[in-house]
Amino acid sequence: MTQTAKAAKKTTSAKASAAKEAKVKAPAEEKAVTEVKKPAAKKKSALAFPFTAIVGQEEMKLSLILNIIDPRIGGVLVMGHRGTGKSTTVRALAEVLPFIPRVKGDIYNRTVEQYVEMESGSKGAASIKPEDVKTELIPVPVVDLPLGATEDRVCGTIDIEKALTSGVKAFEPGLLAQSNRGFLYIDEVNLLDDHLVDVLLDVAASGKNVVEREGISIRHPARFVLVGSGNPEEGELRPQLLDRFGLHARIITINDVAKRVQIVKLRREYDEDPEAFMKKVTKEQQKLQKKIVAAQELLPQVTMDDAVLTDIARLCMNLGIDGHRGELTITRTAHAFAAWEGDKEVTMKHVREIAGLCLRHRLRKDPLETVDAGEKIDRELGKVLGEAEAAA
Amino acid sequence: MIAFTDIVGMDLAKQALMLLAVDPSLGGVVIPSTVGSGKSTLARAFADILPEGTPFVELPLNVTEDRLIGGVDLEATLASGVRVVQHGVLSKAHKGVLYVDSLSLLDSSAVSHIMDAMSRGAVIVEREGLSEVHPADFMLVGTYDPSDGEVRMGLLDRIGIIVPFTPVNDYRARKQIVNIVMGTRDEEDTQDELRMLRGLIDAAREQLHKVSMTNEQIKGLIQTAISLGVEGNRVDIFAIRAAIANAALSQRTEVEDEDLKLAMKLVLVPRATRMPEREPNPEEMAQEEPPPPEEQPQDEAEDQNAPPDETDSNAEEEQEETPDMIEELMMDAVETELPDNILNISLASKKKAKSGSRGEALNNKRGRFVRSQPGEIKSGKVALIPTLISAAPWQASRKAEQAKKGIKSTAALIIGKEDVKIKRFRDKSGTLFIFMVDASGSMALNRMRQAKGAVASLLQNAYVHRDQVSLISFRGKQAQVLLPPSQSVDRAKRELDVLPTGGGTPLASALLTGWETAKQARTKGITQIMFVMITDGRGNIPLGAAYDPNATKAPKDELEKEVEALALSIQADGIASIVVDTQMNYLSRGEAPKLAQKLGGRYFYLPNAKAEQIVEAALS
Repeated sequence: MTQTAKAAKKTTSAKASAAKEAKVKAPAEEKAVTEVKKPAAKKKSALAFPFTAIVGQEEMKLSLILNIIDPRIGGVLVMGHRGTGKSTTVRALAEVLPFIPRVKGDIYNRTVEQYVEMESGSKGAASIKPEDVKTELIPVPVVDLPLGATEDRVCGTIDIEKALTSGVKAFEPGLLAQSNRGFLYIDEVNLLDDHLVDVLLDVAASGKNVVEREGISIRHPARFVLVGSGNPEEGELRPQLLDRFGLHARIITINDVAKRVQIVKLRREYDEDPEAFMKKVTKEQQKLQKKIVAAQELLPQVTMDDAVLTDIARLCMNLGIDGHRGELTITRTAHAFAAWEGDKEVTMKHVREIAGLCLRHRLRKDPLETVDAGEKIDRELGKVLGEAEAAA
Repeated sequence: MIAFTDIVGMDLAKQALMLLAVDPSLGGVVIPSTVGSGKSTLARAFADILPEGTPFVELPLNVTEDRLIGGVDLEATLASGVRVVQHGVLSKAHKGVLYVDSLSLLDSSAVSHIMDAMSRGAVIVEREGLSEVHPADFMLVGTYDPSDGEVRMGLLDRIGIIVPFTPVNDYRARKQIVNIVMGTRDEEDTQDELRMLRGLIDAAREQLHKVSMTNEQIKGLIQTAISLGVEGNRVDIFAIRAAIANAALSQRTEVEDEDLKLAMKLVLVPRATRMPEREPNPEEMAQEEPPPPEEQPQDEAEDQNAPPDETDSNAEEEQEETPDMIEELMMDAVETELPDNILNISLASKKKAKSGSRGEALNNKRGRFVRSQPGEIKSGKVALIPTLISAAPWQASRKAEQAKKGIKSTAALIIGKEDVKIKRFRDKSGTLFIFMVDASGSMALNRMRQAKGAVASLLQNAYVHRDQVSLISFRGKQAQVLLPPSQSVDRAKRELDVLPTGGGTPLASALLTGWETAKQARTKGITQIMFVMITDGRGNIPLGAAYDPNATKAPKDELEKEVEALALSIQADGIASIVVDTQMNYLSRGEAPKLAQKLGGRYFYLPNAKAEQIVEAALS
């Protein structure tokens, strides 16, 4: 009984802060802040296995980093073998993410501009001056969307307790609110319930979460980097959802004995004494974080020649990719990759490195096709490059 | 209640459970075995050897999602007006054992939740306005009968130990079992033995950190894993933990060959995807060529002086063995000790099956919330808002009534049973297409190609309708499930790559295998099933042929009777069928239309059938 009573109390205080989110300075905002600062995955143990100690799986690591550098790339789908560290890697990400400023205690993680724009217009609220709004730095949120999540927790819903005790209709924000300007991670994404997939597709397309249910009418920003992982043997992904992901990283079992020995050793060392292990990698982790921040700062200066863009378009055309999402994704990703490499100009060298990630899942799928998607992309890439060189 | 020490036989399973008791980070133990082998008795007796007070939670197969992961305790919430949390079964097993009997029959969403909890060591509740994390770090002990179907690979991957399949105990053991069940054993002996065993496990837990393992041993295990085509890296860690736990059980400080062999037997071999090649391939050789720089192990450094690249030192000292020698040693064990078991763990289910006929389709408790309807509080998910709305108008009169009766309540709302509304869900649960392809005779290759195309084409759109496809080929003495029900294009592609053809036509066996696949699918919530049979309908091998080599010949009318009986039962079971006859010559004596008729299905004559035509027929 004590357990449930305690839990009930906990949720009460959380609700109190949530209900007051519409007001400028909610007295219970402290609660909201700590909730965002500690994503669910980290509550289990304060220490997730560190990102920099993950051996191999460079494709996945690069994809995640590029998405931090430019969140508009559109997320990453990580598919592959069991037990290869997919979720470990994503959960390790939180530790190396840079900080972002947001309005203090804002459950939607809004910037001052967004906040002023949205709140000034709402009825009853007087116009808000940007200089009056307090801000704070938070780590980019990483929100875990568990398979058993119900739609109301994802989108937000009426605050039942408020309704029960005082008959007031108040909105209780969901996971989409928490993940605004951050990462939304779905493990086993191919097993996700259909209705949740529909919701995600909607929100991902518009960047807004619109709640019109149970007498509540609310809209709030929900722009997040969607990260999904799964094993293709458990089932396929809905084509619409597949198309949503900017990048597609493929994971296979490492068959290099030395690397596997290293994985086992690091893991055992970590299990023995997580704290000591974390201390050992602190420097590496900080270095990575700095490199990411530097790339973010360089990104606006990165330029791309029209000739490169032409080659990208030709590549997508030759591969028969529908729509323009392929070109767009390659362009954005190549910019981010150039920034990551410290280069100010995108060249075909950059494109070559990331084209597979961008296009693999956009090729028309033929189950009887024997040629691997990656190979096909490489082949076309070679052709385009060859022609470009010949023309030069 | 039979004690752990009183159980006869199943020594490997017992050993496995002891290893788990010593090192719970092995994740769990799965015991596949036939009905009545005592596997569930053994699993329940596992509690005997764990420290006192360790939770032991048994998971019922029909567990609902909210009971599994927890949620709002509605009654308490309504009564008190504050949200009251009810912990789920998974979090109740925290620091203890979660036991699942008939693991392979567990609903797939439940399996997903267990997998998720095991990878996090916690349950995340994001439901009905709740946002909580409940610790759930448990050992999973699962038993199942492989003939009931497979356990999902993803789940097996998180469970360290898989006991090799053991069909039955021998007669001596059985006699002893009967004696024990009849209570002829001395209770005091039992208690003594249990105490001793618990002491042993306690001591081993202490010993665990003192056990060292050489680099060569670790490499040897990993090389073995690679040779066996084991997927993922998690398995390496489990294998090492198992070897260390076994050394600790023997009160040793060093891992020895027997520990490695056991780890291989219980961790690696059950996950093998290919038979090992005895000649290491050149690529691996190349990687081994430069011996990696000496790394000092945690202790016993003096044994590390000899460079590990001497291949024929033949030393008695285990520590001087090279990884290659260790791999060799273990491969020998694979061949001598487990000749039949390799590759069998999941394939066991593909043999003759006696299906658990739990038959009933699951209620739609998942999917999109469509509308609400009046109902019992326990009969489904309560739709809160409609419930509140229906209660609202009566508040004044109810309060007045309570006041009259002198009842004082702090609840802001008085909700009666009659107000309760239950959610109705609509879920897309698609059709399972079971392809049964006649791989006998000369036309087999052609039929197979068409079937492959049809399977692939159906799978292309499978996700839209939530359809699944299974493929059974029949040739020789019996039918074989090539692809268990799956939505995965990847998997289908892989399974369909090797397709032997030729031989007799075990038509009855195909029908039986298909029917069993259908029944298993029904226990997992798939209600619509369609047989797609690609055959000329001329069976010539009786059911018994799989077990009796002399039974290959049978009178024609007997064969027909078998097929007819099966076909009628299948029809009665509500399974739809189509029979696609691709026979080109005119020898056809109308067996295929007859088969279609008995199955109550449709007949298509498509001598030049293209994959698309078959799909069209199946979907029409």
